[in-house]
Amino acid sequence: MAEQVTAQRSPLASRVGAALSHPVVFSLVLAFALGWLIVYLTGRDPGFAYSEMLNGAVTGSGLRNTLGRAVPIIGMALAVSVAFRSGVINLGGEGQMVVGGLAGALVAIYTPGPGELVIPLAMLAGGVAGAAWAMLPAFGQTRLRLPILITSLLLNYVARAITGYLVRFHFLDDSVTLTSTRQVPEMARMPRLPIFGGVSLSLALVIVLVAAAWVVYGRTVSGYETQMAGLNGRFARYGGIQVERQTVGVMVVAGAIGGIIGTHMIIGDAYRFIDGELVVSGLAWTGLLVALLAANHPLMILVAGFLFSGLQIGGLAMQRNADVSWRLSQVLQALVIVAVASRLTFGWFKRQRTAPSEGELEPAAVGEV
Amino acid sequence: MTPALELRGITKRFPGVLANDAIDMTVRTGEIHAVVGENGAGKTTLMSILFGLFPADAGEIRVRGEPVRFSSALDAIRAGLGMVHQAFRLFPTLTVADNVVFREEPTRRGLVNRSESIRQVGDVAERYGLAVDPSAVIETLPVGVLQRVEILKALYRDAQILILDEPTAVLTPQERDKLFEVIRRLRDTGRTILFITHKLGEVMSLSDRVTVLRDGRSVADLITADTDPEEIARHMTGRDVDLDRRAPAHQPGEAVLEVSRLSATGEHGRSAFREASFEVRSGEIVGIAGIAGNGQNELIETVAGLRPPDGGSISLNGADITNAEVSTRRSAGMAYVPEDRHGVGTSHRASVWANLLVGHQRDPAFQRKGWFNLSAIRDHARSLIKTYGIRSGPIGAPVSTLSGGNLQKVVVAREMSHGAPLLIAEQPTRGLDIAAIEFIHDRLVRFRDGGGAVLMVSAELSEILALSSRILVMFDGRIVADLDPSKVTEAGLGLYMTGAREDGPDG
Repeated sequence: MAEQVTAQRSPLASRVGAALSHPVVFSLVLAFALGWLIVYLTGRDPGFAYSEMLNGAVTGSGLRNTLGRAVPIIGMALAVSVAFRSGVINLGGEGQMVVGGLAGALVAIYTPGPGELVIPLAMLAGGVAGAAWAMLPAFGQTRLRLPILITSLLLNYVARAITGYLVRFHFLDDSVTLTSTRQVPEMARMPRLPIFGGVSLSLALVIVLVAAAWVVYGRTVSGYETQMAGLNGRFARYGGIQVERQTVGVMVVAGAIGGIIGTHMIIGDAYRFIDGELVVSGLAWTGLLVALLAANHPLMILVAGFLFSGLQIGGLAMQRNADVSWRLSQVLQALVIVAVASRLTFGWFKRQRTAPSEGELEPAAVGEV
Repeated sequence: MTPALELRGITKRFPGVLANDAIDMTVRTGEIHAVVGENGAGKTTLMSILFGLFPADAGEIRVRGEPVRFSSALDAIRAGLGMVHQAFRLFPTLTVADNVVFREEPTRRGLVNRSESIRQVGDVAERYGLAVDPSAVIETLPVGVLQRVEILKALYRDAQILILDEPTAVLTPQERDKLFEVIRRLRDTGRTILFITHKLGEVMSLSDRVTVLRDGRSVADLITADTDPEEIARHMTGRDVDLDRRAPAHQPGEAVLEVSRLSATGEHGRSAFREASFEVRSGEIVGIAGIAGNGQNELIETVAGLRPPDGGSISLNGADITNAEVSTRRSAGMAYVPEDRHGVGTSHRASVWANLLVGHQRDPAFQRKGWFNLSAIRDHARSLIKTYGIRSGPIGAPVSTLSGGNLQKVVVAREMSHGAPLLIAEQPTRGLDIAAIEFIHDRLVRFRDGGGAVLMVSAELSEILALSSRILVMFDGRIVADLDPSKVTEAGLGLYMTGAREDGPDG
């Protein structure tokens, strides 16, 4: 019966149906539909709210802000996806970003010299610090069998505490009421590109990193080996891939990217390391959501990263102009992820009308026994 | 008296295979009915149809004379059928009682009444003499007990017809004897047992009646007391049983693999095997026989570098590899077809080419300084697909789209394609159809004739007898015999495998 229905549909309708059967597309449509309903129920005009959100995200200074915010979101998504794709559950992006950010900031603030020298040096320091911080949970797993999932997450709080202590008691800027370092000198700040109203050079850096990841996964032995480990660890070990050693390598790369992004947030955005600022922004977690939405695919991370960045920036404009709280953006992000995570598709709803499948009858096979 | 179960003209076609071809079978109430046949004869397909796991293309099933149409296993359970699968389907972290009552929980005011379920499960267990503690947690129990839990699941739902799919494959001899006692006791309470196996000894000692399947057809329906193993085997294979079909003798060469006093620990910290010493020479196939769970798998994993040894040494072509990384072993000349082709031998979400590459991703033929030569990798994959007749779609498609036989060909092709002097083949033909089995046997013999050394583990005694140049028998973690296949019978092997005889590795 279903076949007849398909046959009678117009080409456009069946193309829309095909798109909707893709889980990501369906999740986006579902989230925006539910968001529409939420705005409608509060008595505001959903169409106006969405159009203000779109305008705010892509017109005027909105575009620059969207691209600017996309830098840390895409960067942190890339960091988390590098780990996830290799089967390493690194939830320590935030800590790696904070530790790297402070290291990069201190180098930028206290190293005399021209920007051409200090900026790469600061990035390097941030990357090294982030990588070093990420090695703690990596060795915890390979040497002590402590799951990275847990240690990397908990070390986020330790990173926040240590950096907070260092800022407060060793590098405090007394001239402001914030718990903050001094400002990054003009010369050591990340330059801006003369496009889109002056986006940070870091945007180019992030795009290069994403492209590099794409090439590594498609064309190199390391990319192959890490992906094999992520898909099936026993198969990878059987194939001679040294999964333990690789775990450390993957965490070093993920931590380095996190540290570089942390450094960018200081020398390219805030210009001072304020205790807690990088945590409150929730960037590492937005990055995690983007990686989930993009299924860890580097190019999809670019797309999803710009989308979420636009949602956040557009949400602020929507709040100003349409009197709908910017929290709606967070609700939309959450709805997309919940829908993606539950693998909802258009087809899922169709299936519910037919008999349950056989797989639901019995508990999953234990397999090993 | 109305038969418990009648199958008439059951037919099932899979793409390219006629798995069941108009099968007729009658099972009388209160009998133990064995269903035998070689791998690929259609036993599992027939039982899956009977249990409602998928529909037949044609044919009719009658339970106690009533025609039934099962659209799911739930229907089959409601009609009084119970099935004990080969792979147990249990929640590892829950108790025995929780697993048994799942979906049929006794409740009190809408909540699960756990003490009641423990009491009820205990009652059922006691009534049928199944020694199981209902409050024990599944993951702490040995395999033999897990099987009893599966039987309990069926009995708790008051199954009158019990289907056991190759239930002895994972059992020790003692556990098997206990299982047989339970099965006989169930028959004596008037239940009907369908017992699927390919082991003739079990058929003879346990069953009342036998249906033989071959190539998807039922070719014989025999009363056990009136037949003998030779007749059953003739029906299974369709020819006079040639238990002496031996691979022609071959002059073995130098020792390729030397294992000396090797020991290792298994799961749960128990010793898996002890003091294993043997060698495999070029131009010979050494077969390891034994009932599953007697240390063969752990021995192979240790030799392959996936399990650390506790003591002893392994050397390959004279080089010590006792503690070497897997990659070192591979480049020293070891190829390995693992027992678990789904979980270890392949990665189901990875592509066909990625699966055909693993183990050789660092070979100079496929990469330079870490950069893949993608066209060389693709050409290699395509040539393997062609040479080994692997039926697959595009090489970029996930390997999960392949059938079991083709999946095994992927593993065999990959492992044999690099000219490694040593091939370890673990259950190389388990679950494959007859054509695939012959193909793989043929490849193993050709590999041997080309001067390769093969170490093979198999649960199929016929396979061991047909291919091996020498047979090692493992029992309880030790190599208890080193036998010449021309001087041993299946029955003789059985004595060693069950621990009834042993003469030590050098005997």
